[in-house]
Amino acid sequence: MKIVVLLSAGAHPVSSAPVLPRLEAQALRLALALGETTGLHAGPSAAPAADALGHGLGLLTHLATREGDDPIPALVAALKAETPDLVLAGRRGQGGEETGLAPYAVAAALGVTIVADAVALAPGAAPGSLVVEQALPKGARRRLVVRLPALVTVHPGAPAPGAYAYGVARRGRVDTIWGVAGSAAEPNPIAVEERPYRPRPKLMRSAPGTGSAAERLAAATGGMASSGANVLVQPTPDEAARAILEHLRRIGVLAPAVANKPAA
Amino acid sequence: MTYALPVLVFVMVALATAQALRRAAWWRQGAAAEVAWGPGLLALPRRYLVDVHHVVARDAYASRMHAVVAGGLIVATVLAGLAILPSLGGSRLYWAIVALAFGVTAAGSLLVGARRYPAKPRRLSGGRFQILPFLLLAYALGGLAGALLLALGAASTPALIAALALSGVGGLGLAYEVRRGPMRHAVAGALHLVAHPRPGRFRSRLDTALAPLDLDAARLGAETPADFTWNRLLSYDSCIQCGRCETACPAFAAGQPLNPKRLIQDLVAGMTADEPPYAGSPYPNAREVDPPAAPLARLIGPDARIHPDTLWACTTCRACVEECPMMIEHVDAIVSLRRNETMEFARPPEKAADILSDLRGAGEPGGRALSARTDFAAGLDLPVISARGEADVLLWLGEGAYDLRYGRTLRALVRLMRDAGVDFAVLGAEERDTGDLARRLGDEATYQQLARANVETLGRYRFGRIVTADPHALHALRNEYRVFGGEWTVVHHTALLLELIEAGRLKPGVLGGLSVTYHDPCYLGRYNGETEAPRKVLDLIGASRVEMARSGRRSMCCGGGGGAPISDVAGDRRIPDIRMGQAIETGAAVVAVACPTCTAMLEGVTGVRPDVKDIAELLLASMELGA
Ligand code: SF4
Ligand code: SF4
Repeated sequence: MKIVVLLSAGAHPVSSAPVLPRLEAQALRLALALGETTGLHAGPSAAPAADALGHGLGLLTHLATREGDDPIPALVAALKAETPDLVLAGRRGQGGEETGLAPYAVAAALGVTIVADAVALAPGAAPGSLVVEQALPKGARRRLVVRLPALVTVHPGAPAPGAYAYGVARRGRVDTIWGVAGSAAEPNPIAVEERPYRPRPKLMRSAPGTGSAAERLAAATGGMASSGANVLVQPTPDEAARAILEHLRRIGVLAPAVANKPAA
Repeated sequence: MTYALPVLVFVMVALATAQALRRAAWWRQGAAAEVAWGPGLLALPRRYLVDVHHVVARDAYASRMHAVVAGGLIVATVLAGLAILPSLGGSRLYWAIVALAFGVTAAGSLLVGARRYPAKPRRLSGGRFQILPFLLLAYALGGLAGALLLALGAASTPALIAALALSGVGGLGLAYEVRRGPMRHAVAGALHLVAHPRPGRFRSRLDTALAPLDLDAARLGAETPADFTWNRLLSYDSCIQCGRCETACPAFAAGQPLNPKRLIQDLVAGMTADEPPYAGSPYPNAREVDPPAAPLARLIGPDARIHPDTLWACTTCRACVEECPMMIEHVDAIVSLRRNETMEFARPPEKAADILSDLRGAGEPGGRALSARTDFAAGLDLPVISARGEADVLLWLGEGAYDLRYGRTLRALVRLMRDAGVDFAVLGAEERDTGDLARRLGDEATYQQLARANVETLGRYRFGRIVTADPHALHALRNEYRVFGGEWTVVHHTALLLELIEAGRLKPGVLGGLSVTYHDPCYLGRYNGETEAPRKVLDLIGASRVEMARSGRRSMCCGGGGGAPISDVAGDRRIPDIRMGQAIETGAAVVAVACPTCTAMLEGVTGVRPDVKDIAELLLASMELGA
């Protein structure tokens, strides 16, 4: 299986030093266990993406675009030429310039299926297929069989990234392709304000003010009540609608159900 | 017949030389090393008589035994060999002297035997070592009988022939053992003392800094025995399997799968295909490995000679090095092997991957903001050096600053320095981790990146000296940063506090009657030889000080060094529990500590136990009591 991992220029979430995003290192681990893998990065510099070499990537193709260029056309052109069976990416960006939309834009341009939030990958029983274990909210998992080619994004619940090793990085190679035609990124239509991250206390709306500490904790975290994830497997549309309504009422989005009013 | 004994001696020496040369061919498989032969040879007698003796003498019986048997053996053999000179060989008085020397050797052989029979202590190896006393005794008794007969003028009697035959069996057996048996330690040991990889040890006895690794080397660290330098291979051959290292090793005591003696023997066995089987204590609770039979194969791995668990259980406490009479450098070997595992094979301990990546990306093993390092001092108004450019004392906070418990110690230290009117400042958000953890986990690349960055930062400011409460940081800044261009006076906080008291700038009160036992941090005591200042401070505050059985340079590790808490290799017990047990035995009410790691490890011990207090906290408490 020919696999390409999309690598971005991430920033460390605390120090904002340039690093390989953790999700992409996880994607790399999944990919290396699955088949022949190369990396692909479009941007002015290969530096942080080249860290992937230390995680076992043998070859990183760096499409050198100009500062401020939109990387999508370059990535799409390269992937069209390469025709990999599988493209892996992180589920979201980890840096200043990224919106996390790149995988979707690339998949749309290539016209391939996109599957989000994979935690495990395995070759499918039929040739040219892939079994994807997908992470759903509340710890639920769903197994999908996907016909290749496909683009899969990786969830933080995937196996932890392998260690970066300096000696391993020395053995890898970066191929830089210069003069990649790019188009300047369209200016963002929405004005974005940037502020340093400040952790805020979580609002515990439903927590009662009284009771023992254990009771309050149980109430705040949902305690015993949510021990079974509310996942309905192949519900009927009616069941599904009822479950959604009930949930919306419980969290206070919808007004409580009104008892069937007797006709006036 | 008077020539028979000298001829035997020459044959023995020839055999021993041949065996040693065969062995030397193996040493030469190792990597090149620069050895100062001249100074080494000149220093040999001193290194042997002073430095080796200093260690050997800790076991009085072994020391006497060795003096008698080795002294007797050498003197008797040389004298018997000299009898080739006709003027001596014909002298009955001379033979009487030779007989005396063999008699001493025989007595020594009995001492060797008495230690191993009827039962040998667990730390000693069996196998060929159990035959050694008989070979010695045969050689000595045969020589004794022969020399006596010659002294009595009874040449060429059947009795003399029998005596010589006995001596021959023993002597040739000993000489044959030089390649693969116990007698190897004599030849390899002598050469090792000449060609020691850390000659500095013998002068200051404190050559403890790890050597930096050339990151452009073709292979990083040691994968097979041939990746060690030849003089290190030689040093492993000098091991006499006395098991002193094993007795001192905290991981061994905790039942973790590490035994430094076995480790050295595995390095030796990995060199050739025909090393006799190891007959000492195993790696406790070790998992099965499947070592390849071929020589010079990979050393580490579930399918190699040494399981990774063994490699990662080490706390780098250097207790083994401190106790080794053959001056073997176990920790250097372990770090070389770790470097290879971590950097060439990307196999650090599982939990280390994220820590190492945060060290690379954020300069801090927990991935926390560097600016949060001073959070412990909220309300204390710590002066930051970038705002002033200079200070008398630069206070290096270290990793402990992020820890809530250790923050109390640092607050006490800051208050004491304030009280004493010390002009100090911290680096604040510019202080990165020293990289000690990365280095001990074998990630030399990350270590060097951090070391260079820290040296560069420190180079921008003017200060008189660096004070730190973290012995690991102290060791890095004082000893290991030197090759990266960092030369500063680095002082441990206990030394500074003692100095302030002695100068009258701090007036300690009296904690009358408080019984305290002091736990020496490995990186302060063994690595830096500082054991007195903290004790003096305790004496000055009127604590009644009791010592644990293992203290000072021979103290036992808390289990927190070398990344061992991250590797978290399973054992029967926890190292800090063992150490706390030793503290409880003294009956002291307080264990005094002087290191953030020791504090965390010992505070983590559950159950009824003495309080854990840093020297700075105790001093501050005494002053508050006095005020
Ligand atoms: S390494 Fe040193 S202390 Fe350990 S058994 Fe060998 S000679 Fe003895
Ligand atoms: S350094 Fe300490 S833990 Fe490591 S082998 Fe030596 S005694 Fe054991």
